[in-house]
Amino acid sequence: MFGSHKVKIEGDLLDKAKKCAEAGGYESVDEFITHVVEKEVSKVLLPSEGGTTSKELIKKRLQGLGYIE
Amino acid sequence: MPKKTRSKALLICGLFLLAAVALLTLSCNRARAAGGNDARMIVLGIDGMDPQLLDQFMQQGKMPNFARLAAEGSYRKLTTSIPPQSPVAWSNLITGMNAGGHGIFDFIHRDPKTLEPYFSTSRVEGPKHSFDVGSWVIPLGGSSAEQLRKGDAFWQILDRHGIPNTIFRIPANFPPVAAKGETLSGMGTPDLRGTYGTFSFYTDDPSASAEAVEGGQILPVEVQNGRVTANLIGPDNSFRKGSPPSREPFTVDIDPLEPVAKISVEGQEFILREGEWSKWIPVEFQLIPFFGNVKGMCRFYFKEAHPRFQLYVSPMNIDPSDPALPISTPSSYSRLLTDEAGEFHTQGIAEDTKALSDGVLDDKEYLEQARTVLAEHRRIFDAEFPKFKEGLFFFYFSSLDLNSHMFWRLMDPKHPGYDATLAAANGDAIESFYEQIDQVLGEVLPKLDSRTTLLVLSDHGFAPYYRSFNLNTWLLNNGYIKFKADADLTNQAPFVNVDWNQTRAYGMGLNGLYINMRGREKSGIVDPGAADALLHEIRTKLLAIRDPKNQLPVITRADLASEAYQGPYSRSGPDMLVGYNRGYRAGWKTILGGFPQDELEDNTNAWSGDHCMDYTLVPGVLLSNRKIASDAPALTDIAPTILAEFGISKTKGMIGTSVFSSGER
Repeated sequence: MFGSHKVKIEGDLLDKAKKCAEAGGYESVDEFITHVVEKEVSKVLLPSEGGTTSKELIKKRLQGLGYIE
Repeated sequence: MPKKTRSKALLICGLFLLAAVALLTLSCNRARAAGGNDARMIVLGIDGMDPQLLDQFMQQGKMPNFARLAAEGSYRKLTTSIPPQSPVAWSNLITGMNAGGHGIFDFIHRDPKTLEPYFSTSRVEGPKHSFDVGSWVIPLGGSSAEQLRKGDAFWQILDRHGIPNTIFRIPANFPPVAAKGETLSGMGTPDLRGTYGTFSFYTDDPSASAEAVEGGQILPVEVQNGRVTANLIGPDNSFRKGSPPSREPFTVDIDPLEPVAKISVEGQEFILREGEWSKWIPVEFQLIPFFGNVKGMCRFYFKEAHPRFQLYVSPMNIDPSDPALPISTPSSYSRLLTDEAGEFHTQGIAEDTKALSDGVLDDKEYLEQARTVLAEHRRIFDAEFPKFKEGLFFFYFSSLDLNSHMFWRLMDPKHPGYDATLAAANGDAIESFYEQIDQVLGEVLPKLDSRTTLLVLSDHGFAPYYRSFNLNTWLLNNGYIKFKADADLTNQAPFVNVDWNQTRAYGMGLNGLYINMRGREKSGIVDPGAADALLHEIRTKLLAIRDPKNQLPVITRADLASEAYQGPYSRSGPDMLVGYNRGYRAGWKTILGGFPQDELEDNTNAWSGDHCMDYTLVPGVLLSNRKIASDAPALTDIAPTILAEFGISKTKGMIGTSVFSSGER
């Protein structure tokens, strides 16, 4: 059920990913790439499909309008 | 030819020539009056100017310039939009269409597939790693912005006809649409965090609970050896684990005896006394080394030094001298304004109403901030207006709207939030802002000439907001919404307990009521063919509601989208627009899907005036130096009026007609 899958990244993209991982405080480039994929998955999928709900974030953004609590 | 005959012929020729010149002059004057390219037009957009208050202040002699314009020119009530909310109303004005044409129905829209709300006029995407917006390259961790209003803006049509124009802070124009003229975005422009305003409040007072306020953040700090060390909060940094907000440290050194402190931020140092505001302080957030930074700016207010430390920091505004998101056309225009008139709020709703509602700022402190906003606008007006030579000059003022929202309670003893002591101190706040707008008009009137048309207008009027009606609670109590069998009533998250498989209608936004439609909503159950009958049933019941406190009708009209709108987007908004009686509005929690216990409640919030009601009860104003032919002008007439002044026909889809024309609509 919780299988794994290897993705091959090489060349310039790998170098850039390594730089980002280092600058962003990630322990490894694998951890950084997993984080990026998780973020994209949560944006694409509905909450019922495993995506994360952004209701609270949206509410926070809208509260500055003054019209809502 | 005999001399006498030749003289007679010359005389006749001369008379013909004179007649021709006279005719030409007359026709030129007519062309100027009816629309020619040498025409000039000034439009002052005064958000929320109310005809009842304007009449009152004119009669009291407090608005001599408006009184003069009304007496020597024309003054009408201006029919507002359905519903009368600023994003909808200004979109009506901008496009000459109603919401069916421009697609903006409320401050808040919802995605039918997820029922998640979003701000109607623009979408600010969550942080991405990098992206382009036109010629803009936003650095890592920035946000993207998308304009959601449909249809051409009137200034884009002017552009196509070569008419120069300047459009200052018109709402519902973020990010600004492509334009040849100078435009600056207004309402709808987010702060640097992608919100519509999030202040920070730093205190060592243990009774101030962290993060318990709306529209802001309370950050507990410690005073150690007279020093506070804390962080300014910037945009989320998507390259850090968990995407935490970016931070920039600052320190506050408090004088042990005097109510004075030195604040140090990124090498900048400044002194504030208690009760004093800083100027705009630029802040640069480093998102990731070597990749990119984002620039913002904020103002500090030193509220209290002793015994408790209290420091307010404004929402982090986009820096107009180096904007992180597109806020003007050309992109250099916001920097030019900064050079000419100094730094200014770029956040769309600049007045920090939430800080007042939350009690972080008191009336006096909020008023200082609100007056600064107007002072900035007047500085820019004074820099820009003298440069206006040809074409169109549009300038927007937000002050009457925001301050009528916040200070109605102090001029109306019937308001549940009325306080005689506070009223004695600031009961004239709204009046003083009206007087300042009159002063602006006083600068414009002497500049008018025979080829210049002036329009002064507002998008809607104003009314008291005494009582809240919780539409979703009413729909629940009347069987249109059903809760799940295992509903957790202690969970107040929006719609969390709703059983969508049994729910037929729901409320979202300030005036919107939606049918849970099969094929449209994610779990829709009402067949489209049955929707009209259901809407009529709900409308009849809503119009029959009486407030048990005073027996007044709570809702005085309810417009079906099918009746109210024309255009391709007519069916993409709410199915019904709920029009509240004067004094009533959708409750605070119901707007995003909350279910307070009571259907009706007193509104004791500082936000005490409103306009999101029955549109016939809150008309705006329209004044001009020319004769307005229309007896009942509407916002949708303004774009055709502007175009007609420059000899341009209205475009397909525009439903209004020039207010100076007596022709049929």
